[in-house]
Amino acid sequence: MNTTPKSDYLLLFRGNVWDRGLSPAQLQKAVSDWMAWFERLKAEGKCTGGHPLENEGKVVSGKQRSVADGPFAESKEVIGGFFYLTVADENEAIEIAKQCPGLEFGSVVEVRPVAEICSVKQRAEEYSKRELAGTRA
Amino acid sequence: MNTETTTDEYMLLFRGPHWDTGLSTDELQQAMTKVMAWFEGLNERGKIKAAQPLGGQGRVISGTDGRFVVDGPFTETKEAVGGYLVLQADSLNEAVEIAQSMPTLRYGISVEVRPILAECPMFQRHPELVRRATDRASEQLWIAAAA
Repeated sequence: MNTTPKSDYLLLFRGNVWDRGLSPAQLQKAVSDWMAWFERLKAEGKCTGGHPLENEGKVVSGKQRSVADGPFAESKEVIGGFFYLTVADENEAIEIAKQCPGLEFGSVVEVRPVAEICSVKQRAEEYSKRELAGTRA
Repeated sequence: MNTETTTDEYMLLFRGPHWDTGLSTDELQQAMTKVMAWFEGLNERGKIKAAQPLGGQGRVISGTDGRFVVDGPFTETKEAVGGYLVLQADSLNEAVEIAQSMPTLRYGISVEVRPILAECPMFQRHPELVRRATDRASEQLWIAAAA
């Protein structure tokens, strides 16, 4: 029985035009490699979800809550999609990221641990604990 | 023309995880209370499919066979993604309106609103390849399962 605790990671795939300039043979290999990779990870229970993101979108920011059209169409930094992984540890998440078929064509994979608690909330709780300690002292 | 197959789900990417810097304890607590209320309100309306903060650690993998592995942290810049939320919404407009109601915008956070697709746009650019690849992919799966 495997009782190893699992942890969750998000893979963010950056660069959404890595297929440009590939030969039909390279493209076909890339497409089938991607599909086989995703299906295998799902079958192994290591990937519980994954989706591509549309190139269009909006960015909301500022006190005025202004809305700008996202310049998501052609960029190496733009997030083109994500996988949600449930794996043993960070090393396993990194090993899986290294298998990404887009890497050899310039795609970049960001591996991020999913946090239990928001870092700001954590800081807020620490502040209030410190303040409480201060009033008691 | 947009031929991409959209879903009714939108991903909100929260950028700039250090928005609390420089806030007093009171301001921070008020902001957190507002954020929690905002989140609970959306959750009660059935708008939230998933939401999680991301840890500041992590790695960036690039190069053929992932030969370059660079350490995080990702928290220092205004562009860093500090968390995400998968929203169920009727339209991009509704998703944007919900993003606009996010209480921490005034502290400098920005929210990227992205429609989630049912299928990879790259696959849609090359449908004939996907048809050919599907057979190969199932073959590879079969080989992997047999191994």
